[in-house]
Amino acid sequence: MEKNQYELCLEVLRRLEKAGVLENAVLIGSWCLPFYEDYFSGVDYAPSIKTRDIDFLIPQPALIKSKTNVSELMKDLGFIVGFKGREGYIVLEHPELEVEFLVPEKGRSFNKPVPLPQLGLNAQALRFLELLAQDTIQVKAKDITLTLPHPANFALHKLIVASRRRQKDKAAKDREAGLKVLKALIEKREIVRVKGVFSSLPVKWQAMIVKELKGAEETDLIQILKK
Amino acid sequence: MGVIKSVLREELSNSLRMKKGYDRELSKLPKGSLVRKKIKGHDYYYLLLRKNGKVKFIYKGKVSEHEVKKYQEVKRYRAKYRKLLSQVKKQVKFLRSRLRGKESV
Repeated sequence: MEKNQYELCLEVLRRLEKAGVLENAVLIGSWCLPFYEDYFSGVDYAPSIKTRDIDFLIPQPALIKSKTNVSELMKDLGFIVGFKGREGYIVLEHPELEVEFLVPEKGRSFNKPVPLPQLGLNAQALRFLELLAQDTIQVKAKDITLTLPHPANFALHKLIVASRRRQKDKAAKDREAGLKVLKALIEKREIVRVKGVFSSLPVKWQAMIVKELKGAEETDLIQILKK
Repeated sequence: MGVIKSVLREELSNSLRMKKGYDRELSKLPKGSLVRKKIKGHDYYYLLLRKNGKVKFIYKGKVSEHEVKKYQEVKRYRAKYRKLLSQVKKQVKFLRSRLRGKESV
């Protein structure tokens, strides 16, 4: 099952790359963790379990030039179009994976799907996602070039999100992922980078990160960030 | 324990949504499959389907290449969706049994 899921994920990525979608999309969420392995080679870094959701961030304004019907692209793999929540966010569903598209939410909060006509889908707008899009790295997964958020942005974003979660389980998962990547960055001697990203954040966001680190009793990390 | 249970509950609701989705997709596919019969050197097609528990052959005569391909594709998708639906049903069964259990999950 694990292997099937990974192979299916690679096939999804391969198809999106071939269609030119990946050029303008950032892979976010728990699936970043296994793909950070190369970045953290030589460092004690073991990615935790991946979820079924595979999320793609489409930075706005979307720069996708050609039209691609993503659901058609995935149809023969067994993906079907599902609708999540009352709002009707489109999810491409498969027993092994759920593909979702997200966009950064700006301005006043709105609970409506954002149409992505270039992809024949809609996307959910979420807060703080611009943090993931503002600094990215490229990695190779087999023969596929993937854009991922820089691990520093990824880690800090996870801590912000964890502090806002109502569901404890999800908050714990986000916190664990954030801390894992943050500690790997420190071991990789990228403290300056992490501090740079942290200090560039609005004060409120910084406070959320500190609050989350305090909750996790990571006082050393707080000192490193604030030094 | 509560944390794991809430993850399982979410997974169950996703799997139930997916089950509905595969049922919907299967019901959208045209019923039956095309069967070719060679009669006096000519190809004739019948639509093979099940009606009220009985297998029926409905004469279609000569059909276009396009329609033959369409039914082949339908057959492929039906097999794929049935396989995935059975996988989802197993997931639902597993998740329900885990959530019912009194022991720590």
